[in-house]
Amino acid sequence: MKLTRLLKGSVGPRANDSRFLLDVHTRAIPGRTRMRHYSDGEEVDLVIVGAGAGGSVLAQRLARRGWKIVILEAGPFWDPDADWVSDEAGSHQLYWTEPRVIGGEDPIELGKNNSGRGVGGSMVHYAGYAPRFHPSDFATRTRDGVGADWPISYDALKPHYDEVERELPVAGQDWPWGDPHSYPHSPHPITGAAARIWQGARELDIAMRVGPVAIVNGTFGNRPHCIYRGYCLQGCKVNAKGSPYVSHLPDALEHGVEVRAQSMAAAVEIDDPSGRATGVRYISEGSDEHRVQRARAVAVCGYSIETPRLLLQSTSRRHPDGLGNGSDQVGRYVMVQGASQSAGRFPEEVRMYKAPPPEVSSEQYYETDERRGFARGFSIQTVSPLPIGWAEHVLADGHWGRALREYMRDYNHWATVGVLNELLPHPDNRVTLADEKDRWGLPVARMDYNLSDNDKRNMAYSTQVIKDILRAAGAQDVLTIQRFAHLVGGARMGTSADESVVDADHRVWGTPNVYLCDGSVCPTQGSANPALTIMALASRLADRLSTGAAVGGAADHRSVAA
Amino acid sequence: MSRRDVRRPDHLPNLRPGRQPPEPDWLPRQRRGVTPQMIGRYPDYDVFAAEASWDEETRSVVKQRLSAHGPLRFFTHEEEPALRAFCDVTTAQDAEPRIPLAEMVDAKFADGKLDGYRYDDMPEDGETWRRVLRGLDEQARTAGADGFAALPVVEQEQMIEAFAHGELSGGAFEELNVTRAWSVCMRAILSEFYSHPWAWNEIGFGGPAYPRGYMRLGQGVEVLEPFERPGATDRDPARETGDAA
Repeated sequence: MKLTRLLKGSVGPRANDSRFLLDVHTRAIPGRTRMRHYSDGEEVDLVIVGAGAGGSVLAQRLARRGWKIVILEAGPFWDPDADWVSDEAGSHQLYWTEPRVIGGEDPIELGKNNSGRGVGGSMVHYAGYAPRFHPSDFATRTRDGVGADWPISYDALKPHYDEVERELPVAGQDWPWGDPHSYPHSPHPITGAAARIWQGARELDIAMRVGPVAIVNGTFGNRPHCIYRGYCLQGCKVNAKGSPYVSHLPDALEHGVEVRAQSMAAAVEIDDPSGRATGVRYISEGSDEHRVQRARAVAVCGYSIETPRLLLQSTSRRHPDGLGNGSDQVGRYVMVQGASQSAGRFPEEVRMYKAPPPEVSSEQYYETDERRGFARGFSIQTVSPLPIGWAEHVLADGHWGRALREYMRDYNHWATVGVLNELLPHPDNRVTLADEKDRWGLPVARMDYNLSDNDKRNMAYSTQVIKDILRAAGAQDVLTIQRFAHLVGGARMGTSADESVVDADHRVWGTPNVYLCDGSVCPTQGSANPALTIMALASRLADRLSTGAAVGGAADHRSVAA
Repeated sequence: MSRRDVRRPDHLPNLRPGRQPPEPDWLPRQRRGVTPQMIGRYPDYDVFAAEASWDEETRSVVKQRLSAHGPLRFFTHEEEPALRAFCDVTTAQDAEPRIPLAEMVDAKFADGKLDGYRYDDMPEDGETWRRVLRGLDEQARTAGADGFAALPVVEQEQMIEAFAHGELSGGAFEELNVTRAWSVCMRAILSEFYSHPWAWNEIGFGGPAYPRGYMRLGQGVEVLEPFERPGATDRDPARETGDAA
């Protein structure tokens, strides 16, 4: 027996004590009561905007290497015991619900669908799926003639994937797709609903595996085993589901990071003569006063809408059209994934509300297969909507009134499976500033989206596959909803300032000390949920910054041809 | 009353002519928990039976919904009749007890709760609601009634069916993308309706599950948690156990 198999569930991360810094009896981060505080005028080593997947990992890594760090977070510093509930509608506060405008031919619904707010970011309410990107994702332009090549390869991220999987920790079966790998925790037991879908997939020779989910299976320091209550998308009150709140911020706070919650960033401050960023201007909740946290370097980690928005708002003499926007690239190539879901009706009660919604998945269709008639592919994942989500599903199939109530009463007989389509990056899919202002007087973000023909073919093909799975499983009726999920892109990394916003070290072209570290830097998205990759990117950037590899000296940071 | 075997899907609208369900008289009478209109598939289930195992924060959020009450704060007196009729028809609440949907939707907008996005060709969601209600009243007056609420239910349903297909035009509907307006209104209605514990009783949803969790993840009635109750079948449990209590 392989040693890794023997040690499954007992190997922790090397340089992250978060799991021991939590309390067995309460969910809040105990270290918050003795958190370090910096004054605005004290020049810290790094000010980070956003306490989500990117910002938290970056802070935790660099704090261990002695950096003085302040994280500005627009939302609250949660106490899961007091603030989170085991309830769908009651979890509204976890989403970014500030005003935003959506447009284009295929407008993307935001809010609870894909945006988080507060310490921990949107991983507080993500389902928990934590797959890696495939090696092919980093070179789709070369391999498939679509999308873009990344300036870094899978191999650059691989050690960071390994480490972040140990930190979250990720549970699942041995993974046969992409770069085959194992997970630190064993696969979770699955429900009758997921077993039904898996059975249908087997009938069609579609391979599925349990996981990968960032949910403790066993005990992990002071983090408990999952209790299978099914409310992963409402914030895990158990501390079993991995998010930066439990996996990185306890360790970050222990090493001197200040998380300044309810602080809305308004602009990155630039010293025009030198071109250096000097800090971040922000507004505290309940105040009109603009304050500036001074810092030697700035990392913007606000995700695919707020990061471009902050860059576009950060105008100066040197950057009249916004920071990093000299080539009109900020906000472009923003992406979502197609995420249609089909539900099948079975004779028995399967009660899909039990256990985490993410259970079993397949990446068999991930790469291009020309016979399918489109480039790139999709993944298949079980999901399980709670009643409000189920009602949206039924409505999407065209039912209201008595017909809707009938389908709702049938809830316990349904099992649901979804897809994630790799939608391709397009320059006109873009985040810009709207004319409208928010309650701080800052221009709100506008997001325009249009699907390409390749996107539409991918979505149509994959939706048929999941319907076929349900029929093969013996479903008596099938309901389908077309929807979208996740966000990446909007400030992509590349090899030249003409076609990207940051270089391979996440540094904004034309600035010596501003970095972007979140999903916005991804040039493509694969059909994997983005959380793990965002964390791995942050982990890699921390390595590059702490060894000096990514630290810029000259103000005129020119394009470097690859 | 005819009996149905819920293992079969005959009651599902997609499998029936006109995509409409059978009359609800086949459903068992609710014996335990309250459901809207006292119909449901789980006559012996009450989500509150497990209330003692909920955490305090969740209990308080859920129980608050039982006391939703007027007077309306966001919608006006003029808008109220159409609002109530619209909520009733879209959720088939044709008798008491009703989930107080109008009050819940009103509270959402009165409290300024936003969903985080607005279509570029649409006003704020609250304004969309006002225009929809005005539009429904206008359509009803064209048909000779005093307002949407004064129409016979069958005609209300016809108008809502047209709304659902984006087929209403004229008056206030000219100021709206009608398809998106339908989605805005129904998003609010469904998220309020299915947040109410009476609706959970109707559909047999387990409800809040912290710190209790679930141990029985299998399928079929033989693996229910102790507090869960199986759905109604064509058997009569009262008759079989001989205990009518």
